Amino acid sequence: MNTFKRTIAVVALLSGFLWACGESSTTEPAPDDDSKDRKAVLTHLADEIILPAYANFKPKLETMIAKSQAFSAKPDAITLSEFRQAWVDAYTEWQKVELFDVGPANKTGIRNYYNIYPTNVTGINDYMADPSVNLEVASSYDKQGFPALDYLINGVGATDAQIVAYYTASVEGPKRLAYIKRITDHMNALITKVIADWNGSYRTEFTTKTGLDIGSPMGELVNGYVLHYERYIRSGKFGIPSGAMLNGVVASDKVEGFYKKDISKILAQTAHQAAVDFFNGKSVKTGTNGAGFKTYLDALGAKDSATGKTLSETINAQFDIANQKINGLKPNFYEEVKTNNAAMVQVYTEMQKAVRMLKVDMTSAMSIVITYTDNDGD
Amino acid sequence: MMEIREVKTTSAAPLAVFRIVFGAMIFLSVIRFWYQGWIKSLYIDPKYFFPFYGLEFIKPWGEYTYILFVICACCALMLALGMFYRIASIGLFFSFTYIELMDKSTYLNHYYFVSLVCLMLVFLPAQMYFSVDAYRNKNLLSDAIPVWCLSSLRLFVGLLYFFAGLAKVNSDWLLLAQPLKIWLPAKNDLPIIGFLFNYSWIPFVFSWFGCLYDLLIPFLLWNAKTRLWAYGAVVVFHGLTAILFPIGMFPYVMMVTALVFFSGEFHQKIISQIGKWLQLPATFLHPNRIYAYSPTTQRILLLGFGGFFCWQLLMPFRYWLYPGELFWTEEGYRFSWRVMLMEKAGYAQFTVLDKEGRREVVNNQQFLTPLQEKMMSTQPDMLLYYAHILRDFYHQRGYNNPQVYVDSYVTLNGRMGRPLVKPTTNLAQEEESFKPKKWITSFDDTITGF
Repeated sequence: MNTFKRTIAVVALLSGFLWACGESSTTEPAPDDDSKDRKAVLTHLADEIILPAYANFKPKLETMIAKSQAFSAKPDAITLSEFRQAWVDAYTEWQKVELFDVGPANKTGIRNYYNIYPTNVTGINDYMADPSVNLEVASSYDKQGFPALDYLINGVGATDAQIVAYYTASVEGPKRLAYIKRITDHMNALITKVIADWNGSYRTEFTTKTGLDIGSPMGELVNGYVLHYERYIRSGKFGIPSGAMLNGVVASDKVEGFYKKDISKILAQTAHQAAVDFFNGKSVKTGTNGAGFKTYLDALGAKDSATGKTLSETINAQFDIANQKINGLKPNFYEEVKTNNAAMVQVYTEMQKAVRMLKVDMTSAMSIVITYTDNDGD
Repeated sequence: MMEIREVKTTSAAPLAVFRIVFGAMIFLSVIRFWYQGWIKSLYIDPKYFFPFYGLEFIKPWGEYTYILFVICACCALMLALGMFYRIASIGLFFSFTYIELMDKSTYLNHYYFVSLVCLMLVFLPAQMYFSVDAYRNKNLLSDAIPVWCLSSLRLFVGLLYFFAGLAKVNSDWLLLAQPLKIWLPAKNDLPIIGFLFNYSWIPFVFSWFGCLYDLLIPFLLWNAKTRLWAYGAVVVFHGLTAILFPIGMFPYVMMVTALVFFSGEFHQKIISQIGKWLQLPATFLHPNRIYAYSPTTQRILLLGFGGFFCWQLLMPFRYWLYPGELFWTEEGYRFSWRVMLMEKAGYAQFTVLDKEGRREVVNNQQFLTPLQEKMMSTQPDMLLYYAHILRDFYHQRGYNNPQVYVDSYVTLNGRMGRPLVKPTTNLAQEEESFKPKKWITSFDDTITGF
């Protein structure tokens, strides 16, 4: 064989081999090191955290809806207080699922319909007057979900008697109750769809598409997780109300649970703990830690070369500091912003340190590209 | 002009084949670029661009940027065909280089490589054989050219590899296997080879192999005895990088470029084969003529190429003029064949304020695309340029002498993130220059090597 033909043969052979490598096939090689196995991580996250968390949330929401129906059937102080308690329970449980901004939840944008605050009181009144208004558009976000219910069961009157009277008014009362039904039905439809999609094809997609490129489940999961921590915990619950972000403009009316007042802390604590537990792969079913971001980072050997401390330790240490700062706050953030705002700003500052570690150190170690764009200052 | 001189000559076939495949690759690259929507997303949609220092006049033409790409694609095609070769090569050099310099965010070493090859082609007689020009004008047609014309191209390709290899001789790459230690496990789900990336020694094997490959491949390709196996290594190496990393056309450009090392006979066979398919006359395929420059032209060209290579030898070492760690400051990093050496990620939050109490934390999204923001957050000169964009913007908005500060956080090759810019620096006052940037923090770690 002459050189020319030999070259062609060698190139063809090698190209064939490389082509085979590059082809995405369904055969999965058995990894020798399970801790770096993203399939194991994703499977644990789906089966031990995400799906059970949704399964825990759904009945709380259903109870809330049942109580809202009981309230509608017979508006009085007792049914109101039961509705309110169920609302607190569901809202708290929601904090444990809002962070799964991946797949069906991301596609439906469920968070936008569930927890955009401050709620828009004027808008709610307009929507009550027009039952045909579309609840699936961006302009409707701040007129529904838990924050809207917050206003509707805590903010429409100074006392429970006044609130009950708001719903027993002869002409407007039924319209107001109808609006509660509309938005709670919408919440139910959304979560039902998200859970159905997970139980349908998405669980398989999530656990088998193990690549890390843009748009891959793990890429989307990590992006959604960091975004949640940055924008919806750090900014939403602390940065914006305390004015740590909006150039010092303090806005106590922008706290979560503004009308109920005394639940902001429990909501924030629950959300932060859920983010910490998710990082550590803590099973919602058994309470023990399993495969997750922490084990994956540890398997990758991510650590600070200067101190020898692993990245996951450093992140957990920062989570602890943020947790302690939250624990030091009083339940009512509206009051905290007004009287003890420096403590609120401190939480923001500590969370900001965690954000950097998650957004820069963690994603870099995982080789995941941050594709969401941060909108600080909005 | 066309007389036989006492210069060593060689077959014109390798240069002709190179002209065809190189032109075709660029043409395909431009089409692909267009098809992906990148002209719009990279050069039309952004509100601001990051020009190179001293070349600020080079910027996209708005909607007319498409014209630039049309020119580039046409020139590439004409170059491949050897049609109006001189105009095509000059047009390609200028259009491609212009595109490359419009925004630093899209800087790639392989664009720089393409630019320089185009520059060389302007002066090389790549159209004398197997070209439309030579078909039309039999006075041009020759199948032998001065040896130095081919050698200079090989030398340039060799330098690219060698410098890329030399840049890998550093402690991060060889002793820590960074950044491959980060990048390879991300691909552990690939079929057939994926499982390998779970072993912690594999990144070391890849690092060392990659370094030796780059350092040795020019010599192995040059030597006839090792050439075939060396080319096999080229295909495997670039094939692997194509699978593992999102680096677009580069692996394929290098695979066809390395063909330039093959002998005249090898390339003659390719051309004869194509000639047979196209039923071209034997006189066109075997003119038996030697192309030679006039002595004066040749002297000027040799001087020019000599200068070019001196410049090429010095550029990668200009970082020695700067204090601080090259990977951290990136002063002298570009245009030096430093490829795939860093996993660098960052976060930069700017605050603009003035003495009268105005203050705003900047939302980068209002000014930059995600790609621009990503690049800006780790590269000091881009951080500075962006700070100046902000300074001018807020000045317009009524800020009195705006001050710009940045809270930056950067991780490099797995090291814990830390500020890149001294947070007390008012970047509005700092000027861009080739002088060392004193406002970059010290790296506080050592990376030894080139």
